Amino acid sequence: MLALDSLSKHFGGVRAVDGISLTLKEGEIFGLIGPNGSGKSTTINLITGLYTPTTGTVRLDGRDLTAMAQHERTAMGVARTFQNIRLFGNLTVAENLWVAQNGHEQRRAHFLGRWFRAGGEHSPEIGELLKFSRLHSKRDVQASALSFGEMRRLEMARALASRPRVLLLDEPAAGASREDGQILAERIRETRDRGVTVLLIEHMMELVMGISDRVAVLNFGRKIAEGSPAEVQANADVRAAYLGSKHKDEELIHA
Amino acid sequence: MDGFTISVLSNIALFSFLAISAWVLLIAGEISFGQQAYFALGAYGAGIATAVWQWPFALGVAFGIGLGALVGGLVAWPAVRLSGLHYAIATLAFAELVRATLNVFTYRRDVGGVATGPDGANGFRDIRWVYEAGLPPGAYLLVIAGCLAGVIGLVALLTRGRFMARLRIVGEDPILAAMMGLPVARTRIAAAALAGGIAALGGALYAHLATYVEPAQFSVMTGVHALAYGLIGGLGTVFGPILGVLIDIGLLESLRIFAGYRMVVFGGLVAVVLILRPRGVLDERMMHRVAAWLRR
Repeated sequence: MLALDSLSKHFGGVRAVDGISLTLKEGEIFGLIGPNGSGKSTTINLITGLYTPTTGTVRLDGRDLTAMAQHERTAMGVARTFQNIRLFGNLTVAENLWVAQNGHEQRRAHFLGRWFRAGGEHSPEIGELLKFSRLHSKRDVQASALSFGEMRRLEMARALASRPRVLLLDEPAAGASREDGQILAERIRETRDRGVTVLLIEHMMELVMGISDRVAVLNFGRKIAEGSPAEVQANADVRAAYLGSKHKDEELIHA
Repeated sequence: MDGFTISVLSNIALFSFLAISAWVLLIAGEISFGQQAYFALGAYGAGIATAVWQWPFALGVAFGIGLGALVGGLVAWPAVRLSGLHYAIATLAFAELVRATLNVFTYRRDVGGVATGPDGANGFRDIRWVYEAGLPPGAYLLVIAGCLAGVIGLVALLTRGRFMARLRIVGEDPILAAMMGLPVARTRIAAAALAGGIAALGGALYAHLATYVEPAQFSVMTGVHALAYGLIGGLGTVFGPILGVLIDIGLLESLRIFAGYRMVVFGGLVAVVLILRPRGVLDERMMHRVAAWLRR
């Protein structure tokens, strides 16, 4: 469904992403791993339109997204979370979800038409998202007052609120404990079971290898391997890429 | 009420328009050093309308508001791309441009045998509608207070209608807001027009109270004060900037406790508040707590 075709992004002389081609299948969890600076986050930024690619295209169900603005891609069904959490800290938890759910309709609605509309954040769908992300007791709390883990959960709920077809998760387990990682894995599976395709960037190998249907490995902006978790873990190039750190290598093998 | 009290209260109310105007843009994430330009446009626009064209007062004030809102929106259109320091400098430059223009702007017509209208750096005299209508200062204070209540009511309406929420969202993280499909540029242009109109209303009322305005009154320091009121009073509610005005004009200037050291005290106060409460005394967090408490 989501297809990247020889996608590149150069910052001056740095080739952050250098000719990556990937195809995600409908309803799968696709893991994207690689050492720091290998171009994973840049790839997500290219898919969502935060960056414009130097060359290459991004397609969703055959429709070319490459020239679309970020919000148009959101409307097409692309949603993401950020590596460095981005929330509207002055809004409540429920309001953050309401904005994600209605940002698009707000755009189309006439400026005066919505003047007297209020209380939309009490919709059943938002209630369900709050329950899903275990934030229902925090619905009227300002997002800036949440704990780190709660913020991460809110970010994911926020991404789901825009009713995406493909969800891009940028290191959702960063800073999370092992148990939190397991809960997160469960949530990602449930999300997939609802028909959302997931692209997962993560350093926690246990998580990626445990839930991904397929995994691709990036190094220096290029794809060096792709396949099932078992295939990727057995790949010699992948081991070499991670061998800079012995620890990482072992983690990869034992995962 | 004695004349002094009336004059202090009038000043507080008039500065409140300017402070609310700068506050609207602060909410939108934009620091404007140039709202005094719209105050000036309102003063000159409404003054010309009533004194030179002999329009009724309400119509003249409406003309001033329209002029401020229109120019505010037009200036925001190219400026909306700028952010942070660049936006601040652009607003400063525009306000100085307006002041320099008023310094050479002459538009005098014969009204009942007297040449009336702006006369460049010599200023603009005889904006006498209020006095000719026989309105005492106390009654005119009520007019000003009524208009201020109207602005507060408008902001409340916009809060209820979510425009203010949208403005806060855009102000907090324009990139995230754009990703979610909020019309960032359109929202900021609307905010600039609103802010221009509010400042112009204050200017229009000021011109008719003072009967005389001159370009030198609309200096950068006026704009800096307007900005500081919102920052110390707080960004969480429209009463934030008004609180800022009350502190500066109500306490420091009028009571003259600190006499010549007023600006030193005010400057120190701004610095202390910005360190302790970066978004002012009545900030979003406090207003949120107040709202939660009221709901109980």
